[in-house]
Amino acid sequence: MNGFLAALAQRVLLFDGGMGSMLIAAGLGEGEPPEAWNLARPEVLQDIHRRYLEAGADVIQTNTFGANEVKLASSWRGAPPDMEEVNARGVSAARNALEEYGSPGRFVAGEIGPTGEFFAPMGTLTAERARAAFRAQAAALERCGVDLFLIETMYDMREALEAVRAVREVSGKPVVCELTMERKKRGFFTLVGDSPAAAGEALPAAGADVIGANCSVTSAEMIALAAEMRALTPAPLIFQPNAGQPEMTGGRPVYRQTPAEFAADMLAVARAGANALGGCCGTTPEFIAALRARLDAGR
Amino acid sequence: MKEHLEQCMQAIVDGDAGRAAELAGLSLERGYPVLEVIENGFARGIREVGRLWEEGELFLPELVVGAEAMKKALEVLGPALESSAGGGGRRGRGGRSGRGGSVVIGTIEGDIHDIGKTLVATMLSANGFEVTDLGADVPVKRFVEEAERSGADWIAVSALLTTTMPGQKRVIDELRARSLDGKIRVMIGGAPCSAEWAAEIGADGYAGDAVAAVALARRTAG
Repeated sequence: MNGFLAALAQRVLLFDGGMGSMLIAAGLGEGEPPEAWNLARPEVLQDIHRRYLEAGADVIQTNTFGANEVKLASSWRGAPPDMEEVNARGVSAARNALEEYGSPGRFVAGEIGPTGEFFAPMGTLTAERARAAFRAQAAALERCGVDLFLIETMYDMREALEAVRAVREVSGKPVVCELTMERKKRGFFTLVGDSPAAAGEALPAAGADVIGANCSVTSAEMIALAAEMRALTPAPLIFQPNAGQPEMTGGRPVYRQTPAEFAADMLAVARAGANALGGCCGTTPEFIAALRARLDAGR
Repeated sequence: MKEHLEQCMQAIVDGDAGRAAELAGLSLERGYPVLEVIENGFARGIREVGRLWEEGELFLPELVVGAEAMKKALEVLGPALESSAGGGGRRGRGGRSGRGGSVVIGTIEGDIHDIGKTLVATMLSANGFEVTDLGADVPVKRFVEEAERSGADWIAVSALLTTTMPGQKRVIDELRARSLDGKIRVMIGGAPCSAEWAAEIGADGYAGDAVAAVALARRTAG
């Protein structure tokens, strides 16, 4: 059995927290895609990965969220960079941090985010185009030696399924797939109306080993979503919420939630049936450290 | 007539652009009052779509096809509206061939997220507003210059990143610098924005989604 899946069967695994907000704090420019620093400032990435490992993360996520061809073509100013190199440099920053810190029982997840485009009727993305972009990125990540794949922040399950299938075409490594959902009056849904029940059916059937949700909602809301998904599927579950909603104060974003509040909610998410936990936008090594402490204490 | 209006409404709720265009054409053939067809037929449909979206019964795809169907109907009815101008105090929805109000919209510079912005533009347009969509990564000055040039009632500025939100404030500062505040209103939107942020930077309103943007523009139009 793959080391990651074996570890997941034994204990609740802790993924890392936000990367984008950390890069902004480190000086990422306005409008500059986070992946630009894979090429320009890899030492900063490595340092952020190291801080997450020191905070107690079992899994660190490469800074390759927007490193598929479709997304790079729209996010990059000027001619898009070499897709393979952006992914390779992202993986090596994480791998170097892990080797420096000590790797037993810890893993590098190759992160894959959405293309940023929409299927009809909202947009013109096709299944073939999405599949090809994800296949190329997944192949690049596979060549660099990631331990698992993490597909996240998917707002349309059709796109998520293309990503899962694309990874399956090029790798036998574990695949984690997270949709991003909002809470509506009738329950949790993606932007285009995919329900947790639909995700629980389709994603494992396509080859996802772990499924769940990230971003969009707060840690408190994730408790309800975790319970709902646990009742729907036997698949291992992962949840990575934001650090509450950002508020602007004096022209700067402020995340009001404290690491202690986040950790308390996330312990409840684990009790509701989650097998892996982590953070998304606004979460920092302090949030992960607080959660590590609660997980280790078991309360 | 009553049944016809129901059918018009339903075509929008069903997101059936072909049917909407057909019904619009039929309205003209039969000589139904255009404004009433819009107000009590098609526009009622788009409001129903908005309501169902807020209720969580419909999602983005349905909202988009509903707005597209509305656009098709308005395209057919447009010329007849021009000739029946005057409009008689309709509250800027569907009527007066776009003079319900005009909106210059875009995503602020440094920010390439344009899905939400495009949706707001589509919904405003479907609701009879004259919309100029400047796209994404739009410089502050461009918003203001285009709005001044076209005599727009509103500038709608989207920001999806906490790092680009300050650009929304700069649009307002630019309006003030040119003494256009009070003449051109500013609405803001985007995931990290809030009514508090709108108040803090002196925007005229915050719209959390496309439906709210239409309601906001309508409240002060005409």
